Amino acid sequence: MHYVIIGNGVAGITAAFTLRDRDPHARIAIISGESDYFISRTALMYAFMDRLNLRDLEPFERKSYDAKKIERIRGWVTNLDAGIVTLNGVRKIHYDKLLLATGSVPIQPNWLGLESVRTGAVNFVSLQHLEACEQLAPTTRRAVVAGGGLIGVELVECLTHHGIEVDFLVRDSWYWPMALAKEEGEIIAAHMRRHGVKLHLNHEITQVTADAKGRVEAVKTSQNIEFPCQMLGICIGVRPAIDWIRGVTTARGIQVTNSFQTSLPNVWAAGDCAELPNAQIEQIWYSAKRQGELAAKAMLGDTVNYQAPLFYNSAKFFDIEYTTVGAAASESFFHQVPGKDISFRIMHENGAVTGFNMLGSRWDHTYFENWIHERRTLKEVLANLHQAQFDVEFGRIPTPHD
Amino acid sequence: MIKNRLLHDVKNRGISAWFLSAVFTAFYLVLYFTERLTPIAQAIGLDSKWTLYGALYTLAVTAGGIHVIRKYKHNRYQVIRTVTVIVIQATFAFSIPLLLKFFQQPEYYFSYFWPLKMEYLTPSYIFSLPLPFIIYSILGSALLVPILGVFFGKRWYCSWVCGCGGLANTFGEPWRHLSDKSTTSWKIEKVTVHAVLGITILLTVLLFISYGTGNTYRQLANFQTLYGLIVSSILAGVVGVGLYPLGGTRIWCRFACPMAALLGLVQKIGRYRIKVKENMCISCGLCSKYCEMGIDVRAYAQANKSFTRASCVGCGICAEVCPRGVLKLENFSPPAATKAKLVQIKTAPRG
Repeated sequence: MHYVIIGNGVAGITAAFTLRDRDPHARIAIISGESDYFISRTALMYAFMDRLNLRDLEPFERKSYDAKKIERIRGWVTNLDAGIVTLNGVRKIHYDKLLLATGSVPIQPNWLGLESVRTGAVNFVSLQHLEACEQLAPTTRRAVVAGGGLIGVELVECLTHHGIEVDFLVRDSWYWPMALAKEEGEIIAAHMRRHGVKLHLNHEITQVTADAKGRVEAVKTSQNIEFPCQMLGICIGVRPAIDWIRGVTTARGIQVTNSFQTSLPNVWAAGDCAELPNAQIEQIWYSAKRQGELAAKAMLGDTVNYQAPLFYNSAKFFDIEYTTVGAAASESFFHQVPGKDISFRIMHENGAVTGFNMLGSRWDHTYFENWIHERRTLKEVLANLHQAQFDVEFGRIPTPHD
Repeated sequence: MIKNRLLHDVKNRGISAWFLSAVFTAFYLVLYFTERLTPIAQAIGLDSKWTLYGALYTLAVTAGGIHVIRKYKHNRYQVIRTVTVIVIQATFAFSIPLLLKFFQQPEYYFSYFWPLKMEYLTPSYIFSLPLPFIIYSILGSALLVPILGVFFGKRWYCSWVCGCGGLANTFGEPWRHLSDKSTTSWKIEKVTVHAVLGITILLTVLLFISYGTGNTYRQLANFQTLYGLIVSSILAGVVGVGLYPLGGTRIWCRFACPMAALLGLVQKIGRYRIKVKENMCISCGLCSKYCEMGIDVRAYAQANKSFTRASCVGCGICAEVCPRGVLKLENFSPPAATKAKLVQIKTAPRG
């Protein structure tokens, strides 16, 4: 049996190790155009900030790939056929079972003038992007970052760390309305401003200009304001990396069944690139890890019927940690610890708690999940909130009920 | 930019780091094997080079400690721990011994115990002291150290009380990430640290036999001198601190300290552990990078495994640097753990 996996991100690598754990004898190969070894994409920002070396981004010791007999192949897959994938247009690799775990690519905007920019415009989701950013940073005095999501704020933090003056342009009227209510958005906005970030809400880039050498020079926004910059971070979202894929049915992503099977026999897909039957695409680290493991089990012949579990995620905005579980609802309880970047939001509807948005303190999300599944009332949850705290010893935050 | 580059150089084995390492090593060689520091000590009114060393050590712990407190001011575990380290260094490890000497008492360090300080269970030395010191010394090693170890892990000593750990966690902060994280170094550490503990125990037993039988053996005296030279001077001082800028700050603690070895064994059967939050790790590796003991914390975190490693000194920096709040130090007691998953809500039944 020859398993081939395209993409050595967290979905691909989790699948590879799962396959090996269950099948000690199969041939397992994992193909990547990005890197020789699996890296933690979520840690790119810490490498940019010099808190980690490139080597530190590798979550597994290099020798473990040999120990687990996982063959690593470097190159970009250009074509997919029944039983064969083509690498860099030439090398043919045969497979018995294939997993597509190609991940995401940044969404490219159609701003006027962007096509004339040859250098200075960056994304921030791959090793190659990191290299580009590191090369540009020393010659950058001012930067513009566009996009009010998680990767945007990460890039802003990195650039600020390097002493670069950053204009952070956010389209919406507060930071990240997709996930945060206005109060939380404002806490984070104020926090970023204290770190020297110039946050501009309700601004959308309309035009980009480059200098004679093709280096980005300025952007103009919907409010007709011009921001000079030598670097432009484009962080307006990601989409499944499926541009090269032919032969399997795709919509926004690669369409899969609840057992991660694509339209082509013996081909599965998992992680950011996979589109589930309800048109759902899960694009976070945790879902990729989960899907990678389950797709591998499906490839091994297990019965898998994947239903995306209750949503949870975590992030960090400069110094503010963030935990979210569940979903928004018509009503919510909100409390901010006076004078601190710490807040609790508990969403509830029809007497039952549906979700949590917590800033600035640490929580064990599994408690929240249980309470949501058990349809606990707001009163019950508030009375027991302290049990879910995960802050350091001596560092417990008083809960709103206290 | 220039400041960042210099900082990078000194923190990442650049030229300046090698230079500093040479300076630290030279300092310890001069301190241990020459009398060059004696006139300097006397010139500023101190009685010996050892008092000068104690003053410098306390200064380094205090200055480094203030830096650490500022850096981690939002983390109460770090603040309380670091204040404790500074206070213990300034009192038990510096001013109290000086005062004792002033009042014609033995120069005793209440923050050190056998097997870190060999003398405190060396019969010819300890039985020459007044009775309270004998009692403290024996009860300290036999009861205090292991009992606290069972309840709180080795951290109560290694990162709250000990001077070696104190210097590492304050003055040594810029180099904590340089510890080797490979599984190979873990294998080496297990051999060396337990070998030193074995030798320490053997030497102590032999010294008691010799004391009990009233015989003095020349070979035993040589053994004791050699132990002092290699373990206490070269490994703890010259190598332990001299290599801070190149190999990280806990080389001595990790590979050679008999106290750390003993407490590590206690820790494995005790309550202390690092709790890992389920499915929240993003494998970024900051925890492993900043572990001064070279533990690959990420390997446990990404596998959702709460764990206790013998070498963990409980400094808590893995939990501090984790951007997703995945790790938590705790003194875990199993009955509470079984309750953890079944959250009992005491309020009125749901409608």
